[in-house]
Amino acid sequence: MFELFQFIARSRNFILFILLEVLSFYFIINTNNYWSVEFFNTSNYYAAKFLEWSNKAKEYARLREVNAALAEENRRLNRQLVQFQQSNPKGQTSYKTDSIFASRFQFTVARVINNTTQHPDNYMTLDKGRADGIRPGMGVISPTGVVGKVKLCSEHFSVVTSILHSEFMISARLTRANEIGTARWDGVDPRRMKMLYISRNTKVARGDSVVTSEYNSTFPPGILVGRVLRVSESPDQTFHDIRLLLATNFSNVSFVYVVENKLQEEQDQLEKQIEPIKK
Amino acid sequence: MTIREIINTIFLFLLYLTLQILIFRNLVLFDLAFCFVYVACILLLPAELSMTLTLLLAFGVGVVVDMFYNTLGMHAAASVLLAYLRPYLIRFQAAQRGFESRIVLSIHEMGLRSFFYYILVLTFVHHFVLLFIEANSLMLLLPTLVKVFFSTLFTTLSIILIQYFTKN
Repeated sequence: MFELFQFIARSRNFILFILLEVLSFYFIINTNNYWSVEFFNTSNYYAAKFLEWSNKAKEYARLREVNAALAEENRRLNRQLVQFQQSNPKGQTSYKTDSIFASRFQFTVARVINNTTQHPDNYMTLDKGRADGIRPGMGVISPTGVVGKVKLCSEHFSVVTSILHSEFMISARLTRANEIGTARWDGVDPRRMKMLYISRNTKVARGDSVVTSEYNSTFPPGILVGRVLRVSESPDQTFHDIRLLLATNFSNVSFVYVVENKLQEEQDQLEKQIEPIKK
Repeated sequence: MTIREIINTIFLFLLYLTLQILIFRNLVLFDLAFCFVYVACILLLPAELSMTLTLLLAFGVGVVVDMFYNTLGMHAAASVLLAYLRPYLIRFQAAQRGFESRIVLSIHEMGLRSFFYYILVLTFVHHFVLLFIEANSLMLLLPTLVKVFFSTLFTTLSIILIQYFTKN
């Protein structure tokens, strides 16, 4: 008996070593054991707190990728939303929209790599071009609102006429009054815009939102253009003088969606046919 | 063991575990080279520390790292083996260099050459065991060996670089 104790005392480290290894391998083989499920994993409160804290720093370094991912997600959701809205037009329950018409809008995410707001005619450059399916004439929107229209395309870049352009007009609708007019930039403040051709007997209030109307083939209907900032009328005018606060902040636009209307060409061709008749 | 050494050791544990969990856990080069820099906690413990305590400390460190990797047992097993083999290598190296009363395990006392061998051999054993436990079969023999090779190099270089930055 005494020799046994002596043996244990002599090789206690070896025995401890074997014990710890057996314990470790017990944990490895029994992956569902109580200890590893309950305590020793990253859902452990202290471990999780620690990781959360370290993740904050990492997240900050990854903001760029996070933004890209969010923009991509928004693109997908936008497409679904527009498709859904278009297949269920409001107030006309008996009318069923053609599914091709409903899903005519396609979105592509692009990054703004160059942008001006100070000039009277402003353009921005996107990092995608013909290779990504972008064609002149497509609409461009940002997560917050309307941005512009594609003007030129090279293989990998495209230039967009932003709505801060003297000749750019959007068919816009006042949502509350349901009245259609034209929105246009007057070339002064890159955060303000004018809304034209709203007759004086329409009720317009400050803060009413203005969205793109159904009467254009470039943008999906219902994209926010801006909100009414000020309404004034001069006695010698037939229309309201409406100032809008733009929905898109052009000084920090970074990701945009290029909107492709797959039926635009067909619509334009059809509408073109009546022009010789009109003459 | 003096108070100063105890404080140094605690600082060592905190430093390497924090580095491992916060930084090197996310750092894998080319899906090949992992860095388990926390082995330095065990490797750099004072040489005269009792074996029992070393084994227990190694087990503790292994479990803490396992907790963050969600692999309870794997790092612990490899670390305990590392702690068990460590004195043999220290004795072997001491015998080679002739008798010295007290061995201090640091790059400044041992010189780069023997420190490098000390770290390299034990790191190799640790990574070999760890990565094969993780692979859980000999089917992936060659890829695992490649991983072991590059991970050992990566870890050894990291430990030596960190040694240069933490003189005391």
